[in-house]
Amino acid sequence: MPSLHGLTRLALLAAPIFLIAPEVHSQTNDAPTAAELAAEIKALKQDYETRIQNLEAQLEAITTQSAAPATPATGARGQSSAFNPAIGVILNAAVADFSAAPQEVSGFQLGHESQRGQEGLSLIETEFNFSANIDDKFFGSSTIGIHAEEDGSEAIELEEAYIQTLPGAGLPDGLRVKAGRAFWTLGYLNEHHPHADDFVDRPLPYRVFIDKSYNDNGLELAYVFPSEMYAEAGAGLFRGDDFPFGSSDTGRGVTSAYARLGNDIGTNQSFRVGAYVLNGSATPRSIAHGHGSSDAHGEEGHDDEEVHDDEDDADHDEEERIDTDVHDDDHDDEPEMAGDEEQEGHHDLLAEGVFTGDTTLYALDVRYTWAPTGNPRDQEVTLQGEYFWRAEDGVYSDDEGEMTAVDGTSSGWYLQGTYKFNPAWRIGFRYSRLNPLSSADMANHVYEVEHDPSTVSLMGDWTNSEFGRVRLQFSREALTSEVTDDQLYLQYIMSLGAHGAHTY
Amino acid sequence: MTWIAALAAPGMVQPSPAIAEVRIFACEPEWAALASDIGGDAVHVYAATHGRQDPHYIRARPSLIAQVRRADVLFCSGAGLEEGWLPVLLQRGARATIQPHQPGHLMASAHVRLLDPPSRVDRSLGHVHAEGNPHVQLLPANIGFLATELARRLTVIDPDNAETYRRRLSAFQDRWKDATAGWTGRTSQLEGMPVVAYHEAWTYLFAWTGIEQVAAIERLPGVPPTASHLQEVLELARTAGARAILRAPYEPSEGMEWLSDKAGIPIVELPFTVGGLEGVDDLFDLFDVTLTLLETVRDRH
Repeated sequence: MPSLHGLTRLALLAAPIFLIAPEVHSQTNDAPTAAELAAEIKALKQDYETRIQNLEAQLEAITTQSAAPATPATGARGQSSAFNPAIGVILNAAVADFSAAPQEVSGFQLGHESQRGQEGLSLIETEFNFSANIDDKFFGSSTIGIHAEEDGSEAIELEEAYIQTLPGAGLPDGLRVKAGRAFWTLGYLNEHHPHADDFVDRPLPYRVFIDKSYNDNGLELAYVFPSEMYAEAGAGLFRGDDFPFGSSDTGRGVTSAYARLGNDIGTNQSFRVGAYVLNGSATPRSIAHGHGSSDAHGEEGHDDEEVHDDEDDADHDEEERIDTDVHDDDHDDEPEMAGDEEQEGHHDLLAEGVFTGDTTLYALDVRYTWAPTGNPRDQEVTLQGEYFWRAEDGVYSDDEGEMTAVDGTSSGWYLQGTYKFNPAWRIGFRYSRLNPLSSADMANHVYEVEHDPSTVSLMGDWTNSEFGRVRLQFSREALTSEVTDDQLYLQYIMSLGAHGAHTY
Repeated sequence: MTWIAALAAPGMVQPSPAIAEVRIFACEPEWAALASDIGGDAVHVYAATHGRQDPHYIRARPSLIAQVRRADVLFCSGAGLEEGWLPVLLQRGARATIQPHQPGHLMASAHVRLLDPPSRVDRSLGHVHAEGNPHVQLLPANIGFLATELARRLTVIDPDNAETYRRRLSAFQDRWKDATAGWTGRTSQLEGMPVVAYHEAWTYLFAWTGIEQVAAIERLPGVPPTASHLQEVLELARTAGARAILRAPYEPSEGMEWLSDKAGIPIVELPFTVGGLEGVDDLFDLFDVTLTLLETVRDRH
């Protein structure tokens, strides 16, 4: 009886009758005769009574043995990973059309990962995930992503490599610890993998404030309170090499804290709100690919992530990036970057320079969902918004020797909504906006950034199953005062293999 | 690690008082009903889903995490039915005593014989549950086994009330045995009746009653029907002389209405679980109403 492997003693007791039952009522044409059926029903009833008596006897035994071992058998089945480790692959690709050349973002320095994707056909990202329980106390997961770079190359990034305590590992209830590299708790989107996003690209605040995602090396504690309403708080300590930080002196220069509340409203609506802070310094800010001290996009070889610890490397990367921009100016439809500079009499140091100094990032997020029938798979409305506020105290400088001290705040936010009107189709809207540092925040009042970058996006997607989705998205980006970029994407996101349950 | 708890205490709305009740988190309404029957006043039962929700697709909402955080017993179907949400609740709620292999972790599917384990698991076959069909509640014997198992767990977790659980179990089993005998007698009249279903949700009910499912409207488990598949279902329904299209409360009606129209057979909504239809308030109602509705189908000309 190989199929009974792993069943409990109780199930073994039940086995004889149920081995017969499926045969009797199988959907084939050789249906049993009425007499056979009657016999089966009688047998079923008798067996059922015998089993109940057995179980009651067991119960009696348990209740009379006060020192009974508190470990009743629980079937080993029902566990999520049938393989060890669980392996999952996310395939995420698109065809894109852009009306303008790549733009910088007025008043904001972009990290390497948040530049616009490739035009035409591209593999946006391919993710490989391996995860499993390590033993009775720890869970481990690693994710390797291969991204398409704007210049046509590909980069491999170790996105996540973390361990996490399992409930029952000996920590107090509600407490969990995560260590390694992970998409840490910051706002709504950061802890989600991009394949779970509702739009092709991340909203503007994510691009300028955390270079799409904050996945530094570090550790995080989280605690869920034993309250009627959902309440969670946490704190973290991180290396400080990932944007908006970089080249950490101590290797533990960034701290974080957060709090979240959430609940249901009636039976079919729910919400969650959160507040977050992330604080550290940059010497200078890491704008190279991946993590501060790694050079994964050199011209010669981009697919080995070498780890250097000297700052020159990051600077070198920056030079390359600026050089590339200059070459791009030769393209036919290229708007004149130099022209901008002439008009304003200077270039945008905040966008093109490198920041060295202290950064504190605050974030607020809210998410609300409403499933009119209680079944989010059939119909659902989601509303989500995040507000980021960044205080910087330091110096922006570029390689031409221009520099300015800054002490002030910039901010950005987005608001989005999606509407699933049947199980396969959704539509969505998103608006993002940024407010750069003003001249009052700069020591020598160099210049005023007279443009608030913004993006409007509309999307519609088709979901064939929970593992496959195709999306059409239109975005209008006004990142500088000069150029409006109309972007059209047709994207697919498919997953194969193990795929963990999604968080709220 | 106690400093975290120390920090936490002052801010809390209620620093949880000594809870006399055992808190049971039931993933589906049928297990919530059974838990109330067995636990009575000694337990507090929270149902994570209501009777018109599809338990396959539930969001791991913050409110559910908060409930799991404080639960003493987790009572679910298992066999992958809740795989899209329960793992998140268990991990975030981080409650040690309801994790797998603990007395507080009760999965119905681990205590009954699962029907239809697939010979092959491949996503091109749709959302297949590798261990077998997890919708085990529509077989009276399964309810009986789970009643006893739950009582067993409760006596381990809450020995002070062991006598209560034993007494309530015994009373429940007496009623359930009598009721089951009556229902089983009624099933002989249903044996062989051909029907169409939307999803493989009735496997245990059909195994017990002998009702024959001639086709499923879903193309594959979890995959909505296409026009050509519906055409095939129509042919199968006509050939086999299907008497009705059976529908669980949460299942979509679009394909069903077309089929009902073409084949000239009614759509019959069965409760599927406690609270699935008006007036189905406990497990006894569930089987009474289900059989009554099926008898209506049989008697229709």
